Amino acid sequence: MSKGSKSKLMRRCMIIMSIILVLGFGTVAFRLSQLTLVQGQELQQKAVDQQLTDTTINARRGTIYDTNGKVLAQSATVWKVVLSPINFENDEERTIVSKGLSEILGIDQESIFAKTKEKIYYSVVKRQIESETRDKVLEFIKKIKEENNITGVIDLLEDYKRYYPYNDFASAVIGFTGSDDQGLSGLEYEYNDELTGTPGRLVTATSGNGNGTELPFQYEQKVDAIDGNSLVLTIDETIQHIMDKYLEQGNVENKVYNRSVAVMMDVKTGAILGLSVEGGYDLNDPFTLTDKNAIAKISGLVGSEKEKAESEALSAQWKNKAVSDTYYPGSVFKIITAAMALEENKVNDKSTFTCTGYYTPVQGAPAIGCHNTSGHGTQTFAQAICNSCNPAFMQIGQSVGKEKFWEYFQAFGYSAPTGIDLPGEANGLFFSSDGKMTDLDLAISSFGQGIAVTPIQMVTAISAIANGGELLQPYVVKQVLDPDGNVVKSTDKIVKRKVVSKETCDKLSEILELNAKEGSAKNGYVAGYRVAGKTGTSEKKFDIDGDGNDDYIASFCGYAPADDPQVCLLVYFDSPLGNNYYGSAVAAPVFSQIMSEVMPYLSVSTQYTDEELEKMDTTANSYLGLSVSEAQAKVQADGYSCVVKGDGDTVAAQLPAASTRIPQGGTVVLYTSVEEVANGEVEVPSFSGMTLAEANMVAASYNLNISVRGVSGVSDGVVLNQSVAAGEMVAPGTVITLTFTTSSNYGNNNVM
Amino acid sequence: MDLTHTQTERTKRRSQHRAASSVAAASAGAARRRSTHRSREQQRGSRLKKAFRVGAGVDMPFLILVLVLLVCGLIMLFSASYPIAYYSEGNSYYYLIRQGIFALVGVGIMFGMSYLNYEYLKRISLIILPVGFLALIAVFFFPSSTGVHRWIDFRFFNIQASEIMKFAIIIFLAHWGAYQHKKTNTFKYGALPPLIIFVVTAILLYFEPHFSGIVIIGILTALMVILYGGKIRWFIVIGAVLVGVVLILAVTDKLGYAMERMDGWGKALEYVDDAQWDQTFQTRNSLYAIGSGGLMGLGLGQSRQKYLYLPEPQNDFIFAIVCEELGLIGAIVLLILFGLLVWRGFVIAMRAKDRFGTLLAAGLTAQIGIQVVLNIFVITDWMPNTGISLPFFSYGGSSLIMILFQMGIILSISRTANMNKV
Repeated sequence: MSKGSKSKLMRRCMIIMSIILVLGFGTVAFRLSQLTLVQGQELQQKAVDQQLTDTTINARRGTIYDTNGKVLAQSATVWKVVLSPINFENDEERTIVSKGLSEILGIDQESIFAKTKEKIYYSVVKRQIESETRDKVLEFIKKIKEENNITGVIDLLEDYKRYYPYNDFASAVIGFTGSDDQGLSGLEYEYNDELTGTPGRLVTATSGNGNGTELPFQYEQKVDAIDGNSLVLTIDETIQHIMDKYLEQGNVENKVYNRSVAVMMDVKTGAILGLSVEGGYDLNDPFTLTDKNAIAKISGLVGSEKEKAESEALSAQWKNKAVSDTYYPGSVFKIITAAMALEENKVNDKSTFTCTGYYTPVQGAPAIGCHNTSGHGTQTFAQAICNSCNPAFMQIGQSVGKEKFWEYFQAFGYSAPTGIDLPGEANGLFFSSDGKMTDLDLAISSFGQGIAVTPIQMVTAISAIANGGELLQPYVVKQVLDPDGNVVKSTDKIVKRKVVSKETCDKLSEILELNAKEGSAKNGYVAGYRVAGKTGTSEKKFDIDGDGNDDYIASFCGYAPADDPQVCLLVYFDSPLGNNYYGSAVAAPVFSQIMSEVMPYLSVSTQYTDEELEKMDTTANSYLGLSVSEAQAKVQADGYSCVVKGDGDTVAAQLPAASTRIPQGGTVVLYTSVEEVANGEVEVPSFSGMTLAEANMVAASYNLNISVRGVSGVSDGVVLNQSVAAGEMVAPGTVITLTFTTSSNYGNNNVM
Repeated sequence: MDLTHTQTERTKRRSQHRAASSVAAASAGAARRRSTHRSREQQRGSRLKKAFRVGAGVDMPFLILVLVLLVCGLIMLFSASYPIAYYSEGNSYYYLIRQGIFALVGVGIMFGMSYLNYEYLKRISLIILPVGFLALIAVFFFPSSTGVHRWIDFRFFNIQASEIMKFAIIIFLAHWGAYQHKKTNTFKYGALPPLIIFVVTAILLYFEPHFSGIVIIGILTALMVILYGGKIRWFIVIGAVLVGVVLILAVTDKLGYAMERMDGWGKALEYVDDAQWDQTFQTRNSLYAIGSGGLMGLGLGQSRQKYLYLPEPQNDFIFAIVCEELGLIGAIVLLILFGLLVWRGFVIAMRAKDRFGTLLAAGLTAQIGIQVVLNIFVITDWMPNTGISLPFFSYGGSSLIMILFQMGIILSISRTANMNKV
């Protein structure tokens, strides 16, 4: 080997070695550094994603209770069907499984098949299946294992379903949840975060073929779900039911087109005791339309128009009219105008206002009429309220002035949402957002036209008058409880501001009580409970029934007892299309009915006037087991008339039964045998339109007892409705409750 | 010694046997210079003793590196393979035991080879080339696995035909380069024979198909030609022709399998379509494994990707598991071990007593280095996934034995060189 060629060979060896080491190994080291240091985290995340099966453990949604702990909404265990699509080996398996599941679950096969194609471990097919369906799925899992040797592709996991034991009860407040357990409306939506809880996770490391159990290596980490918090509402199930009952009754009687609302507030705290929106829907089935008008309208449509109408009708159905809708408050707003004037010392006991049947607030503008076209003449401030006189209030409004009017409008909380813990709250509408208004605007807004407020704003503002001037923030959830029942949050009373003085409020309460006793609001009066209130009838700018007249809103807002107000109630009917549309005729009786049941329930002590005491019901004594003659003497001694049915010697039954209510001077029917009770049934007559005296006579002739509600005492009181419908068969002695109204409202007269 | 120093390449080739030559030299010396008989006897005795001691004469650093890599390889093979062994064979030790046996056999062969005078290989260098070609043809008579013919089934073990061919080409070109070293700078002697061998090999591998084999053999051939003094311009010309051929094949869609493999190459992490996504599954999971390792690794035995995510983690992609478990640091340490092995292999080559030894040691060492680099290119998605195993690590009896056999040859070259120095 020559020296030169040898050294050349050595050099070439060096070159090749350097190329391999520097170029080859160098680039390799660079590439590995790039992958581990630069892309490392991203790649590791992807690796972890495929290695870990992450299963969500649903948290149980919290329960919703009424103020007394009655369950209004609750989650119960159901099941969800999930697939592990990655474990499918071929399309044949996918077809078998998708076909089988589609039959059991009623989902179309194609969509399931599409899910089986995904390269993931976990894909939910259907949620909230009941145990019956679950059994079928389990059977199917067993079947495909035995017949087709398909395993590990279908799984059943615990899930929860929301149940509402009272169905449509308080539907506007409670709301409902969607298929993923998420709140969609009402409190379910508003308090979704509280109710939802924290879902848990089950993280399992699996091997590449999804069958981790076959390997010695296992990794499992479980994070338990934290169940959702529960809500305790201020809503009282009993009160709400009372409100629902009479509201619905009023709604039907007055052929209300656009639903009706009743809101009751504890004036001392702002707690909402009941919030009733007529035309509720079953919370267990929120997607079914309940509004007959809407159903009728939709049935005539087809295609996309129908779909659109349906979804509109559904959102209307779910809407909480009490917080999401505004309305012209009408004469109820006169309370607020009056408060402004009193507080600003623009009126006093000596102030007088003249009504000639109309008033021209602005020179050159057309005159605005009073509902009493012949005029109220000269009235005091109190009389103006009791007469609900528009010309007087235009003058009062003018005395307050535009600036002060806007100031008080804001102060009473009409210019901002009340902040109630319910979703979708609307705001009041003023003529302009900065409070600018014309003289004419001032005139009409003085009696509640031209400005729009929400029912909840109205009840909050009137509660401020009732409680001595404090504007409160209304609320429906008084407590949030953790899963162990500990109180996490509680709401007591949130005072927003002092609006008017106690003196102003006391003065107003006095006048409003007078108004309810003998003024335009007397249909809302409840004997013994010193109701203070005001009616309202406002014009809408719609004419749904096409009778050529604009539709109206009939409302009544009041509180009781006047000397120490406890609760404030607003009843409001949107577009009554029956004989009456006046607040005094439509809303006031419902107000009275609700209050007459709620006040005793709340154990508010009664304060009867002498006159009232006379008409008061007493409770019947027991005459059972006495001889007929003995019993007769006793009944008469107790101050009732007596009728005996049957030939026996001793009293076997009596009507009214012992300890039930019987009007003073009523009739006690004694039966000598129990069978007689059914034998002697009488047909209930119609008391409609009768005065108290007439009703008494008729009742006596049928041997029936009547119990009296509403304005029976006033000279023009007539029966508006009766608790047992005419034509029904009842035993003699049965007590029938008659609700009276003023005859002016019974027909079609003008009272605002 | 004196004799070998003065011997020309040709005479040296004729009197090869180490024992024979040393005995002849010793006896000749004894006859001529009796006075120094005793000392020479002692010298001879110590030399013989040294020659038959295990470590004697061989390059110790190289031997140690080989054994260290082999042990590392076995440990990593066990770690990488036990889930799949448990899952598919029902025995976590399945691959470890088999590979361990192969390693023992291989180490035995390696030591055996280290005692054998590598110059004998010159004699088989002409036979081994046809044997290599035969092997490449023989694969077509064995049942294919998944449509590719690469293996010759010897019942007890399989051997990849291309493994034989790689070895054959290195030996042949080493011999050719040594034998014709005066003419290897001419195109006729220097370029034409390797070109013909490569083209024939490439055609046969094309039909197997085994494209990574073509790439490795191509690179090896080129390196051998460069080593024995090839001209750069040949590569330019041949390279141009090759590019042309590949382009024609690509345009006429004849690359089929390779194109399929190329399709997903370089974008294993991006979803293109289902076919590509499925096809790059192994590479993608390899990248996940490497990335998961980060700088420090998850710890020996802690790989997650080996749990049936990375298909066949015991084979070509074992280094991905190494990266996942030992991190970048562990991977670099192993790369340094391989680098040292390459360096030491070239040191042996440069110290070899003859041109054949130099070329042979350099060629065999280069093969290790190239396979390491290409293997990591594959597992890191820088090269299409076409089956390049990692020496000492990847499971496979025949290739491990082959590698150790070749290491034995390098040791033999080092031993001969060291013996001659004494």
